Amino acid sequence: MSAIKTIIHLETDLHPIPVTTTEPEKRVERTKQLFERMKNQCRAVVMAMENCTKCGRCAKECHVYLGTGDPDNIPAARADLMRAVYKKYFTAGGKLLGSFVGARELDDELLEKWVNYFYQCNECRRCAVFCPLGIDTAEVTIMARQILVYLGLVPKFHMSIAKQVDKTGNNMGIPKGACIDSCEFIEDEIREETGVDVKIPVDQKAEILYVPSSADFFTNFDTMVGAAKFFHAIGANWTISSEILEAGNFGLFFDHDFTMKSHNNRLVRIAKKLGVKKVVQGECGHGWRAARMYTPSLSGPVPFEITHIIEEAAAAIQRGQLKLDPSKNDDKIVTLHDPCNAVRSSNLMEEPRIVLRACVNNFVEMYPNREKNFCCGSGGGILMEEMIEWRKKVTQVKRDQVRATGANYLCAPCSICKAQFPVAFEGYEKEVPGFKIGGLMDLVGYALVLE
Amino acid sequence: MASIEVNGVVIELDEDGFMVNPDLWNEAVAKALAPTEEVTGELTEDHWKVINYLRNYYLQFGIAPMIRKLTKETGFSLKEIYDLFPTGPAKGACKLAGLPKPTGCV
Repeated sequence: MSAIKTIIHLETDLHPIPVTTTEPEKRVERTKQLFERMKNQCRAVVMAMENCTKCGRCAKECHVYLGTGDPDNIPAARADLMRAVYKKYFTAGGKLLGSFVGARELDDELLEKWVNYFYQCNECRRCAVFCPLGIDTAEVTIMARQILVYLGLVPKFHMSIAKQVDKTGNNMGIPKGACIDSCEFIEDEIREETGVDVKIPVDQKAEILYVPSSADFFTNFDTMVGAAKFFHAIGANWTISSEILEAGNFGLFFDHDFTMKSHNNRLVRIAKKLGVKKVVQGECGHGWRAARMYTPSLSGPVPFEITHIIEEAAAAIQRGQLKLDPSKNDDKIVTLHDPCNAVRSSNLMEEPRIVLRACVNNFVEMYPNREKNFCCGSGGGILMEEMIEWRKKVTQVKRDQVRATGANYLCAPCSICKAQFPVAFEGYEKEVPGFKIGGLMDLVGYALVLE
Repeated sequence: MASIEVNGVVIELDEDGFMVNPDLWNEAVAKALAPTEEVTGELTEDHWKVINYLRNYYLQFGIAPMIRKLTKETGFSLKEIYDLFPTGPAKGACKLAGLPKPTGCV
């Protein structure tokens, strides 16, 4: 095992990822091979390697740099950690002039920096919105983490999720029995609240497969209630699957080659098995990107539509299909946090606003918003326990954004954001009594009048 | 890897202090883990109600129950659970009940 010191715990057992750990002395050779392949596959990364002018525009747009003050967390500097290696092996200038042009050998010292700084990037793509040259540091981070996988350097936290998904089809590791028990409990709770029989079909042939986040079966109860009420209200022929109780796809963050692709393949396999015409993804930002952007392209062709529950809700509202009583949410002043991957990577921008305006009377935009919104601070899967203090630091800017709205309900339609915000907003209840963090379907569920 | 010794048995713990082998759990282990999760003083009847509910659910279903189900079945509000286990149901309560650390977006 390597002697490199990392801020995150690493896992040595990479099963089920089919790679063998690279011996330290073979890392340079292996990295060169991986770069060679990358040059042919990832033109966005090659563009990033060739084109940065170090103008500094990205510095003040990155919440990680703003929160940590560490110059290596400036997006251009982060990408430089990879650029140095690219120059060394693939540019004439770097081969001839070495460190004079910023080229470096990938030694243990640099590898240590790779782990430490590519795992301090939230892959939020906000820097890409502002970069005059269009450099997307998230793509660089994703490629760096992919190379680290092949070198056997993977966070324990990410691996624990990859292992759970491989075993159960969801991040939390919820087995079928618990899934059914939870659905029965949700049905009972809805009946108790509304007097209406709302069913949550599991593993049924249906027209729609709903893919929630597994966290909806643990912490985000009201999100699942909102989704179930919604499908009932539109009279949908729907089901969830105990084999894919997970919209999230952590592979997007660190391992496209195996972890992301295998979860996308699972989605296609199960959707086909259940004979659905449509897959509807639940409240998960990055999972929406993996499903929408990479499933038809990498695991397709797919004989079904892939949509998001917020798109479905917005469309139903515009059709006049939902009976909503927004006054049910009058105890709330709601602000919307746009999840990075929903708003910057897969076009879920106006739909949440259509839904919110129909469900609540007091909706206040935070600034900046939409594609310019700041990340929650845990994007890229930085939800590890050992990163708690870091996670608090990098969300100072988010707390300021929310504070300026005066909101007492922070609507964050993404499970990573929902998990990060209780950390980021620790103690905020003293400032804003009754402050609550929740999803968007939660608010739909509160406002829906069921018949 | 960290470990604690309880009544002569070595209990291995992961990086976050959760039991590596939940089968080795017993009440003495819960008591030994309590101070690591800011649970001070003796474990009360209320603590045991939460711990035993989590433990039994885990043994039956192989996973922690939904938090809402935990609050409903024990009769404690979320705030009361935080009063009992300051680090929360997913961390403090699950750890003392010998469950593996809930993973994913929690």
